[in-house]
Amino acid sequence: MTHTLARQAPTLGDRASRWGTIALGVGVIALAAAAYFGWAREDGFKRLQHAWLVACAFWLSISLGGLFFVIVQHLTRAGWSVVVRRVAELVAANTLVTAILFAPLVAMVLKGDASLYPWADPHHVAEHPLLAAKAPWLDAKFFALRVVVYFGTWFLIGRWLLKRSTEQDGASGVEPTLALERRAPPAMVAFALTLNFAAFDLLMSVVPTWYSTIFGVYVFAGSVMSFFAFSVVALRFLQKHGLLEREVNVEHYHDLGKFLFAFVFFWSYIAFSQFMLIWYADLPEETFWFKTRMEGPWAIVSVVLLFGHFLLPFAGLLSRHAKRRLGILTFWAVWLLVMQAVDMFWLVMPSVETSANPVTLAGIVSPIDVACLVGAGGIWLFALTKLAGGRALIPVNDPRLPQSLAFENF
Amino acid sequence: MVESAIQAGAKPVYGVLAEFDDVDSIAKAAREVRDAGYERFDVYSPFPIHGIEREMGLRPTKLPWIVLVCGLSGTSLALFFQWWSNAVDYPFKISGKPLFGIPANIPVTFEFTVLLSAFAAFFGMLVLNKLPELHRPVFESQRFRRATDDRYFLAIEANDPLFDAKRTSELLQKLTRNPVELCHDSGQSGALPSWLRAGFVGVAALALLPLAATVWARAFDTTRPPIHIVRDMDSQQRFRAQVANPVFADGRAMRPDPLGTVAWGELGASGAAQAGKRGDTFVDAFPLPVTSNLLERGRERFAVYCTPCHGQSGYGDGLVALRASELQEQNWVQPSSLHDPLVRTRPVGQIYDTIVNGVRTMPAYGRQVSSDDAWAITAYVKALQRSQNASVDDVPLPERAKLGVQ
Amino acid sequence: MTVDSTSALHLDEPYARPVLVEGDRDIAAVTRRVCGVVEAPKPPKAWYVAITITSAMTVMLFGCVAYLIATGVGVWGNNSPAFWGWDIVNFVFWVGIAHAGTLISAILFLLRQKWRTSINRAAEAMTLFAVCCAGLYPSIHVGRIWVAYWLFPVPNQMQMWPNFRSPLLWDVFAVSTYATVSLLFWYMGLVPDLATLRDRATTKLRKGLYGFFALGWCGSARHWQRYERAYLILAALATPLVLSVHSVVSFDFAVSQVPGWHTTIFPPYFVAGAIFSGFGMVVTTMVPARELFGLKELVTLRHLENMNKVILATGSMVGLAYATEFFIAWYGGNPYERFVFLNRALGPYWWAYWLMVFCNVVAPQFLWVKKIRTNLWAMFVISIFVNIGMWLERFVIVVTSLTRDYLPTSWGYFAPTWVDICTFAGTFGLFLTLFLLFCRYLPMVAIAEVKTVLPAAHPHGGHGHKEGAHHG
Repeated sequence: MTHTLARQAPTLGDRASRWGTIALGVGVIALAAAAYFGWAREDGFKRLQHAWLVACAFWLSISLGGLFFVIVQHLTRAGWSVVVRRVAELVAANTLVTAILFAPLVAMVLKGDASLYPWADPHHVAEHPLLAAKAPWLDAKFFALRVVVYFGTWFLIGRWLLKRSTEQDGASGVEPTLALERRAPPAMVAFALTLNFAAFDLLMSVVPTWYSTIFGVYVFAGSVMSFFAFSVVALRFLQKHGLLEREVNVEHYHDLGKFLFAFVFFWSYIAFSQFMLIWYADLPEETFWFKTRMEGPWAIVSVVLLFGHFLLPFAGLLSRHAKRRLGILTFWAVWLLVMQAVDMFWLVMPSVETSANPVTLAGIVSPIDVACLVGAGGIWLFALTKLAGGRALIPVNDPRLPQSLAFENF
Repeated sequence: MVESAIQAGAKPVYGVLAEFDDVDSIAKAAREVRDAGYERFDVYSPFPIHGIEREMGLRPTKLPWIVLVCGLSGTSLALFFQWWSNAVDYPFKISGKPLFGIPANIPVTFEFTVLLSAFAAFFGMLVLNKLPELHRPVFESQRFRRATDDRYFLAIEANDPLFDAKRTSELLQKLTRNPVELCHDSGQSGALPSWLRAGFVGVAALALLPLAATVWARAFDTTRPPIHIVRDMDSQQRFRAQVANPVFADGRAMRPDPLGTVAWGELGASGAAQAGKRGDTFVDAFPLPVTSNLLERGRERFAVYCTPCHGQSGYGDGLVALRASELQEQNWVQPSSLHDPLVRTRPVGQIYDTIVNGVRTMPAYGRQVSSDDAWAITAYVKALQRSQNASVDDVPLPERAKLGVQ
Repeated sequence: MTVDSTSALHLDEPYARPVLVEGDRDIAAVTRRVCGVVEAPKPPKAWYVAITITSAMTVMLFGCVAYLIATGVGVWGNNSPAFWGWDIVNFVFWVGIAHAGTLISAILFLLRQKWRTSINRAAEAMTLFAVCCAGLYPSIHVGRIWVAYWLFPVPNQMQMWPNFRSPLLWDVFAVSTYATVSLLFWYMGLVPDLATLRDRATTKLRKGLYGFFALGWCGSARHWQRYERAYLILAALATPLVLSVHSVVSFDFAVSQVPGWHTTIFPPYFVAGAIFSGFGMVVTTMVPARELFGLKELVTLRHLENMNKVILATGSMVGLAYATEFFIAWYGGNPYERFVFLNRALGPYWWAYWLMVFCNVVAPQFLWVKKIRTNLWAMFVISIFVNIGMWLERFVIVVTSLTRDYLPTSWGYFAPTWVDICTFAGTFGLFLTLFLLFCRYLPMVAIAEVKTVLPAAHPHGGHGHKEGAHHG
C-alpha cells in the first residue's frame, strides 16, 4: 500500500515555474532596492559589499548544511530520513547560484578593492606587519583560486548526490544507492576540509588580524542548524500546497525537530567555547574582535543572539510536545532562520565603521541588509525551483523508502 | 485447579497470574483485559515491549516534569551559590576577573544542572516505581522466574473492583494456553535480614562520626593545639637559630657569610648619598638636586611603600593601621604621624636613614627601594610636611588671590 | 583470535538490515549465553593468568601512590618549567578513554543505532573504570592530598570557598558529575539484568546479592514505561555531559595564555579525540574479551566494524584539528604560537609529535579498507596504535608547551622518573583488574536491551509494522 502511494511521484509540476518567477521577481526588485539604498549612502558601496557577503553566507550556509545532512544519511544508511532527503538534496545541489552571487565579491578582491577584505589592498598590507606575515595566504589570486576550489567541490558533490539519487528513482536495481553509500565517506572528507577553510577565508578574513581555530566549526554548526530549520519550513510549505502530505508525517518532523534542537545546542556550545576562551585568556590580539561586539548597539545584537539563537529556542524546543506540534516547530524554524541571518550579520557587519555618533541600533542596521538578503534569497530560491523542476520530491524508488514511510519514534 | 486453590488458600489472594509465550499474545491479552474494564493489572516482561502502554491504557509518566524542576533548581542553586560564595561571602579577586562573571561560572552551573537532573531521572524513576521492593507476591510463583528471561505474564490484582477469582481466571485462561494460577500474598516481608539491617545502621552511624566530630570542633573553643595528623610544613624538622649543629666543624647552626661575600646591591654602598650620614651626624641637605620630577617620583614611591601604614597624607592612618586598630591588635605599634613636630624637625638624612634601615617596628625598605628613590621619598615627605603646616606666606603671590586671602 | 566464519556480512542490499545477533536468535538463548559467563563454575584459565598480572600491577600502583604521598610530588619528573607532567597527561588520557562508554550508551541511543546494545554495557563499565584511573591523578598530584577536600565547596576552618572561576575547579565538578551520572546510567541498565541473574540464581548468596542490587525488579510494564523514559532522559542528559567533560578538560589548557594551549578549537577537538581514544580502547578490550567469554555471536564482527568506522571518522576529525591548529598558528602571526608548533615538529620532542601523527592520523586511514577493518588482528593493532597516539597527543600538548614557552632562559626538558612510569603502568593494572572482575561477575552484555532488537520482541499484530523498520 505504502509503495503505490510513493510511486505517484509528487513533483512541483507547473508550480516550479510559477514559484520560480515570483522568487526571481521579488529578488530582482530587492536587488534594485539594495542598489538604490547603496547609491543613496555615502559609504554605500562598502556597505553593499558587506551586506552582500552576509546574504551570500546566509543562503550558502543552508546549502552546506543540506550537503552535510545528505552525506551523513548515506554514510549511516539512514532509513527514517528518506522522505525528507530529496528536498535536502535539492538544497545541497543549489550551490552554483551562490557561487555566481559570490563572484562579484571575488572580482572586487582581484581588482584590489579593499572595502570588504582589507587585505586586498597591497599598500595596507605593506604597512601592517601582521598582515604582511600572512600575505602569502591572503593573496588575491590565491584567494580566488581557493574560492573556486571550495565552490567547485560543493557543486560537484551536491550535483553528484542529486544525480545518483534521481537515477535511483527510475533504476531497477539498487546500484545508484550503493554508489552513494560508497562515495559518501570521501565526500565527507572533502566537505569538512573545504568548509573549514572556506569559513576562514570568506568570513574570518573580513577582520584579517583576528583568528580563531574553532571558527570553521562555528560556521558549520550554524549551517547545519539553519538547514534543519529551512527543511522544516520548506516541507511545511510544500505540504500547505498539497505536496508530500501523506509521505511526510509528524514522526519525520519530530526527528527534524530533534536535530534542530541538537544543533541549536551545538551552536551554543561552540559559540560559548569560542567566546569564553578568548574572554578568559584576555589577549588583546583576540579580544578586540569581541570588544567591538560587546559595545554600543552591537552589545544588543550579541544579547539578541544569546537569547534568540540559544536560550529561547532551547527552552521552546526542549519538550517532545513542541517538536511534534507542527505549528510550534515551524515557528521556531522560522525564528532560527532569522537568527542565522542575525548571526551572519553579527560576524561580518561590525567591520563597517559608522560615522554616526553615538552609534545606535538603528545606525547599524540598514535597509541595504534586508534588501540584499531578500535579493540573494529570491535568486537562490529561483535556482532551487529550477533544480526541483520535474524531479520527484521524494526518492520514490529508494530501497529504504518503506522504512521511512513506516517510521515511528519510540 | 483455581477453585481448589481458593478453598485451600488460607493466605489472602493477591491476584491471578497468567503466562504467555510471545509478545503478540501478551499484547492482545493486555488489550482484552483493559477492554474488560480492569484497572489494577500489570504486564511483566523481560524487556520493554514496544507499544504495550497503549494496549494497557497507561498514562504518560510525570517523570520529565520532575527532571525539569530539579534541573532548573540545579541551575539556579549553582548560580546563586557561586555568586554568594565568590562574590559575597568570600570575594576572590583573581587575575582581574569579575567576582561574578557569567562565562566563568557557566561550566559549574551546567554540570550541577545535569547532576541534579540525572538524580531526578534515576531516583524519580525508583520512587515512582516504588522501588526498591525486594519481595512481591508474584515472586512466589515458580514460573514467574522466567519473567526476566523469556516469558510474559499478566497479573490482575485482587483489589481491582471487578476482580472475581473465578471469572477473572476464566477470562485469562481464554487468552493463553498456559495454566492460569492464583497468586497468594504470604505476607512475607521483603525487608532485609535483621543482621544486615543492623549492619547498615551501624555503618551509617559510623559514617556520621567524622561529621559529628567536625561539628563538635566547630562548636566549642579549645586551648589545646590541634592534633597534627599530617605534620605538613608548619612543624618540619629544622635547626633553630643559635643552636648547636654537629654537621659543621664550628658546631654552629647559623652559617656566617663566606669571606668576601657581598650581598646583591650592596657593592659600593658607602658615602653620604647612601648612608644619609656624615660621620655620626645626619646630613641636612639633599645629595641630589630636588626637582619636580624627583618629587613626582617620590610621591609615586611613597604611595606604593608608605601609604599602607602612614596613609596618603602621612598621619599614620593607612589601611593597615586602621585595620589593626579595628581588630585591637595587642602588639601593634601605631605608625608615626609624619606631621609630628619631632619628625618634622628631623634632618633629611635621618628620614632617609629611617626609610632605608627602618626604625623600631618599621621594617627597612633598603632592599626594595633604591637609594635615589629613598631620597625622592624623603623629598616628598618634606613637601608633605610643609603642605600640612603651610601658612599664607607659602603661597606665591599670584596664587593668593584665588584663595581669597591677602 | 581467528576471523569468525559466522560473520558473513551481506550488506549489499540497502533495505536489508544486518542482523545484530547471530547464531541462536531466540530470547532465552541471549539470557543463557550472557548469564552463562557469570554462572560458569570457573572462568577460563586465561582469566586467572590475566587477573594475576593485572592485580600485581594494581598493587604496584598503590605502592607508587603510597610512596608519592609519603615522600612528595618530587618523586615524579615534574619540575620547573614542566610543572605538569605525566600526571596530567595520564589524567587526560584516561578521561578521554572514559568517553566511549557514555557515547555508545547515550548518543548512539539517541541516534537509534541499535547495534550499540551488544557493546554498551562493557563500554559503560570501561567508562567507570577509566574514570577511576583518571580521577586518581588530580587527587594525588595536588601534593598535600589530605586537604584535597578543599576542592569541594565544604565549609572549612579558613572560612574560604573554592574559586569557581578556576578551570581546575570546573574539572572537579565535571569529572565527578560525569562519574556519578555514568554510574547511575550503568547501574540503571544493570537493574533488569541483575533481576535476571537473581531469578536464575542457584545459591543463596547469589540470590541475595543480585537480588539486593536488582532492587526487586519484576519487569512490570508500568515500571518499564518509567524506566524507558528515565533512560531516554539520562541519555539526553549524558550527551551534552559527555561533550562538556572533555571540553572542560580542554579548558584547563585553553583558558591559559600558554602558546600551543590557548586555542579555541580545543573543546570540540578534545571531544573528538576522546571519542577516538575511547573507541580505540573498547576495540582493544572487546576483541580479546569476546573470544575469551564466547560472546562472538552477540558482539559480532559488524559491531567491531562499526566501531572501526567511528575510529576512522574521529581520527580524521582529530587530523583536521591538527591541521587547523598548525595553519592558524602560522596564520595568526603570533611568533610564540608559530614557534611552539615548529618546536613540536622539529624540537626535542619531534619523535613524540611524529609518532602521534602517525598513530592518530595515518594509522586509522588503513580502516578505509574493508578487509582491514574486518580483520581482528589488524583492528587490534590499529586500536593499540590509537591508544598510544592519543597518549602521545596529551604528552605533546602538555610537555612541549610547558618546556619551551615565552622565556628561553627558563626552557627545560621533561623526563619521567621510574615512579611516573610505574604509576602509569599501574593504572592499566587497575583498569584491567576492574574490567576482568566485571566480566566475571556482572552481565557483560545488556541482556534486556539485546532482547529488544530481536525480531521476537516486536508485536506483529496491532500496528502493521514491517519487521525491517525495527532493525537499524
